Amino acid sequence: MARVMVTLRLAPEQATLEEVRRLLGLVPEEVDPAFGLVNISPAERLYTILVDETAAHRIADADPVEGVYANPRIEPFGPPEDEPG
Amino acid sequence: MRVLVQFRSSPEVHAATLRGEAMPSFAATTAAPIPGLVIDPAFNPVQVPTPQADEPGASPYLYSPAVSFSMAPEEATYLVRGTLPDDPDGQRLALAEAFARPEVVGVFSDPVISTCLVCPGAPAVGNDQDVTAQLGVKALADAGLDGYRVPVVIVDTGVNLAHLESRGRHPRFSRQRSWAPAGVATRPGQHPVGHGTMCAYDVGIAAPKATLVDHALLLSETPGETSMSGLLSDAVLSYSRLLAMVQAMPAGRRSLVVNNSWGMFSPTWDFPVGHPGNYSDNPAHPFNVIVASLEAAGADILFAAGNCGRDCPDGRCRFGTARPICGANSHPSVLSVAGVDTRRRRVGYSSQGPGRLDPDKPDLSAYTHFKGSGVYPADGGTSAACPVAAGVVAAVREKYPSSVLSPAELRALLRKTALDLGGTGFDHDFGWGVVDGAALAEALGGVKRSRRR
Repeated sequence: MARVMVTLRLAPEQATLEEVRRLLGLVPEEVDPAFGLVNISPAERLYTILVDETAAHRIADADPVEGVYANPRIEPFGPPEDEPG
Repeated sequence: MRVLVQFRSSPEVHAATLRGEAMPSFAATTAAPIPGLVIDPAFNPVQVPTPQADEPGASPYLYSPAVSFSMAPEEATYLVRGTLPDDPDGQRLALAEAFARPEVVGVFSDPVISTCLVCPGAPAVGNDQDVTAQLGVKALADAGLDGYRVPVVIVDTGVNLAHLESRGRHPRFSRQRSWAPAGVATRPGQHPVGHGTMCAYDVGIAAPKATLVDHALLLSETPGETSMSGLLSDAVLSYSRLLAMVQAMPAGRRSLVVNNSWGMFSPTWDFPVGHPGNYSDNPAHPFNVIVASLEAAGADILFAAGNCGRDCPDGRCRFGTARPICGANSHPSVLSVAGVDTRRRRVGYSSQGPGRLDPDKPDLSAYTHFKGSGVYPADGGTSAACPVAAGVVAAVREKYPSSVLSPAELRALLRKTALDLGGTGFDHDFGWGVVDGAALAEALGGVKRSRRR
């Protein structure tokens, strides 16, 4: 299943993956453990996790959730190709 | 000065043109030669259809509403090629003489036009020695700026140090700071020779003594990906490590240059524009947030503008007529780099602005499509332009850490000292122009240096 990024605003004591799972009622299989809990803005106390799309929609309105975001594919920019790859 | 002169028709001119005669029949139609105008006898006069507005009173040169064209000899005009004196006074006199003649419709410039822009698959234009010269690397080196010990992160498909050594590059390398997503089998600095190695080589043009850091996120083993792609979440992980890295540096000696020669080719993997989870146009997307955080912490972040230029886009581009410089590639906190060849012509595939997050993109241009790393026939794409510019940034950071010159200040200086190309000042093809190491080194003369080294 496709995974998306969910952004959370957390207090320092909430900033562990286990605590986030507990807060949001996520089972372990719904969260990418290798990605973990990533601090994307220390100043804003913003974090992100990688979650199954269906689970992300379930928790979208939960208190610490700031948003659910795309996880698009990225590729190198070169050398350019003539024909569609 | 070369010009095209447009003459009204006459029966003699028309007959001469039909016979394929250029001169002297044509010249004979003027009562006397026009002083200062030398007509090119090798150029056959060309009949120009005369536009006629279908609506009375409408200008035929607006081409809307509809116009029709007449080739009737009595209505048509003819172009001949010629030259005017190069000196302004001579030019003015010749033009005055020409416009005084009733048979002359107009005198127009005949600018030099070039062959096609460099497109995907075209052979290399010049080599990395040419880039070294054009970039002003000597002036940077003379100012003691060669990137010594400045960490440059190659966020890409991985670096192969043995290949760099074989091509005469001997960069420092930090294994400890390098990283790859889970499941990548090869080790930092020993990844397969490819795109990332090309980028590492091109950083070395201006910053041969920089310390390379290898973040091989485009080797992601995420199921369903090609061997040369990743997901933006891999980039979030990479940047979280870079954020920790730069925050661990002493505040007065922070320098970290991050090269990103990658991006999205297709909006189909993104949420649509306007959706709250969209990446391309949304500064609140987590990757765009962490980019801003890393820059605020003191890192210089460079992104390739992309290869979806209107003239000859990469075959993978799926943006259609939408703006292709999107997401972090258009972030206001990064330097978005377009591509020019060593003749300083925009490569036809270099993405044009405006950007999605910041309309004033690309910021500037750097050299690409040259013979260099040996990884490909040409180090091409804005992928190569980006590390060329990143090398210049790294060279500067050797003596000017972000505590002395913030990333925003350095971006402003790079824009200010760029060699202007295209229209005067900023434009959406070249940004502020092509990066100019010599002008930058001179401008830095007034900035207090760090005592580092």
